[in-house]
Amino acid sequence: MEQSNLAIEPEVLKAIYGQMARIRAVDKAIQAGLSAGKFMFTYWPMTGQECIPATISQLISKDDYMITTYRGIHDQVAKGVDLYGMFAEALGREDGVNKGKGGSPHISDPSSGSMVTTAIVGAGAPIANGLAISAKERGENRVTIVNFGDGATSIGAVHEAMNLAGAWKLPVIFLCQNNEWGEYTPIPVYTSSPNFYGRAEALGFKGVQLDGNDPASFYKGMKEVIEHVRGGNGPVFVEAKTFRMGPHAGVGDNYNVDKDYLKTKKEQAPVAKTRQLLIDAGICSEDELASLEAAAAKEVDDAIAKALESTVTPATETLTDVFANVDDVPRRGHYPSRPAEGDLPSETKTMSMAEAVLDAQHIAMKKNPEVFILGEDVGDPHGGVFGTNKGLQTEFGNTRVRPTPIAEQAIIGAALGSSIAGMSPIAEIMFTDFFGVCIDQVYNHAAKQRYMSGSATHAPMTIRVQAGGGMGGFGAQHSQSMEAWLLHSPGLKVVYPSNPVDAKGLLTSCINDPDPCIMIESMMLLYTLKGEVPVDEYSIPLGVAKVVREGTDVTLISYGWMLNQALAAAEELAKEGISAEVVDLRSLMPIDYHRVLESVKKTGRAIVVHAAVEFCGYGAEIASTINEELWDKLKAPATRIGAAYAPIAYSNAIEFSQVPGSAHIVARAKDVVKS
Amino acid sequence: MSTMLTMPKLEMSMQEGTLAEWVVADGAEVKEGDVIYLLETDKTSREIEAPASGKLVQKAEAGEVYECGTEIGEIV
Ligand SMILES: Cc1ncc(C[n+]2csc(CCOP(=O)(O)OP(=O)(O)O)c2C)c(N)n1
Repeated sequence: MEQSNLAIEPEVLKAIYGQMARIRAVDKAIQAGLSAGKFMFTYWPMTGQECIPATISQLISKDDYMITTYRGIHDQVAKGVDLYGMFAEALGREDGVNKGKGGSPHISDPSSGSMVTTAIVGAGAPIANGLAISAKERGENRVTIVNFGDGATSIGAVHEAMNLAGAWKLPVIFLCQNNEWGEYTPIPVYTSSPNFYGRAEALGFKGVQLDGNDPASFYKGMKEVIEHVRGGNGPVFVEAKTFRMGPHAGVGDNYNVDKDYLKTKKEQAPVAKTRQLLIDAGICSEDELASLEAAAAKEVDDAIAKALESTVTPATETLTDVFANVDDVPRRGHYPSRPAEGDLPSETKTMSMAEAVLDAQHIAMKKNPEVFILGEDVGDPHGGVFGTNKGLQTEFGNTRVRPTPIAEQAIIGAALGSSIAGMSPIAEIMFTDFFGVCIDQVYNHAAKQRYMSGSATHAPMTIRVQAGGGMGGFGAQHSQSMEAWLLHSPGLKVVYPSNPVDAKGLLTSCINDPDPCIMIESMMLLYTLKGEVPVDEYSIPLGVAKVVREGTDVTLISYGWMLNQALAAAEELAKEGISAEVVDLRSLMPIDYHRVLESVKKTGRAIVVHAAVEFCGYGAEIASTINEELWDKLKAPATRIGAAYAPIAYSNAIEFSQVPGSAHIVARAKDVVKS
Repeated sequence: MSTMLTMPKLEMSMQEGTLAEWVVADGAEVKEGDVIYLLETDKTSREIEAPASGKLVQKAEAGEVYECGTEIGEIV
């Protein structure tokens, strides 16, 4: 027996091969089914990369978290995702692990620890940090492994995530499956880096390069890596060298590769090599392996046959899983009336909006140890650039209030991942304008996680963001109102308070809400507007607008700092004998169409006012709904006023005229009432 | 149980493909995994393997373009 020469226990090698055989059977069955036209879905073959997850499966359990990509079917199989649920998902069926709503590139199966699967290159890495934060804070012994390709090392999200994980010593493994190709482009074309693992060292943590096609050495290397990470020594970056034998998508060979090179790579491919090793070392007989492979093939065939019988997920499922409550999904003709907040606690204190925000966070953090804050400069003594977290780091410590690197994707991803694990993070992004650098984490991941996973997972996170504008002098990149971007991304709840009382109550609702919520805080209001704010905890329910001034001739609908312009305009209009009702939306999503329509039914006229660009803005949406619903009751068409179609100018003269102010509102209201 | 062979959709962008050549004669026995025909798309030419073992029944002429989903043969 040559067994003594093996660098791995025979039983382990056999178990690894058992997983390889399952992966191989899945790959073969998919390719055969696609080739025969038995089913159709987009497949990104992982042929040649089987050894990596098969080996790791012997070192982790379902309690460890995993994130992978569209190409990660091998990762899913080895992690223990039920094959029936996986195939049903790939086929878009009701019995899919995610109700057929995510498909194979978006599998999310907490029961096996396969938490998130993304089709956005590199985007899993920031989310992995969040899962790792939850494990670390809860004192769990889990590691989080995030798989991605070599191509993903070029994208900012991976760099941001690596840097954050290093800074916070998170128990996360960045597993780069280096298969030599990024889609149709090979390595030397897209980077001059001699390797990828070296980047970890540059960021101050451990990086290793392992042969991902050799089970014995990979097992040994990964064992050390996992022990290191589990032992609390911080992250590790693993560059697992392998080869993608298939095309980027579809079936068959990697046709971009030189034929001779492919032939050599095929000879080195791990499945056949490992099989031969088991025989040569006398660990398994041919019969044993054949029956193991037959069992794998049968498991796969049964799963596919059953999956093909599951019902295609019907269109009646369209709006479920967008939010926890389907009533929150806006749709024509459905305008639920949600109960308002009722009486608030009676004891009050004069607070600015910044103090009200701080108070809401303070109460939430005292009440729930899983509420934590992360963002740039959020620590003391500053407590955030706008001081909305002052004193919280001192009171709750460095893990509950986490100043971050200047890396918005890493911030949102960390919040998202921890929320998927059930924590209640509050991520602060300084200016709404900075959504541009992290919008992928917001609209592709936080917004869609519930939907793509068929509610197997969801993201109860809060993002607080400050909006400049209206004050003058902040220029084109610090003054924008980006709410329409957010509102056009199904799955995000958005609130925009106009006063300190609402700010505290809305933020409390956001923190406790099961869906991702974004609170936009007007910089202008944070310090200037004071109010009598109840000192105890209270919530302002999401999706409940408020009539803040009653009137009979026209309804002004607004939110945020512009609401105060609308109120000033109403005051002016009153002097001229026009009675304006002012509705503060408070929540932009869910929207309270019920109260909006009730008001306009009474006045017969409506103007929506916002600081955001008018063209394709939220006002157009609301005005259109009012016109459709109340056509026969309107005295004039509902309309909207927003900013001119131009970046915000630095010149005060331009800014104050391009964004509506009370004078614009008065003028428009007079036109509307006259008409 | 027979297995229908249709023009596969191998990539998101694929709408049609050319059945370039039958490698196995009509009526011949094939084993699962044997190459049975050559498929050409705008990107590449590929060998398509038999998804099952049995007798190949050709139902479409080689050298022609077929839309994805068109039945081109059967393994009985
Ligand atoms: C952000 C983003 N850019 C581009 C794409 C298109 N795309 C899909 S896969 C892929 C290649 C990724 O290569 P790599 O990271 O090496 O992973 P592999 O596919 O080899 O597993 C690209 C560019 C994408 N999905 N997401």
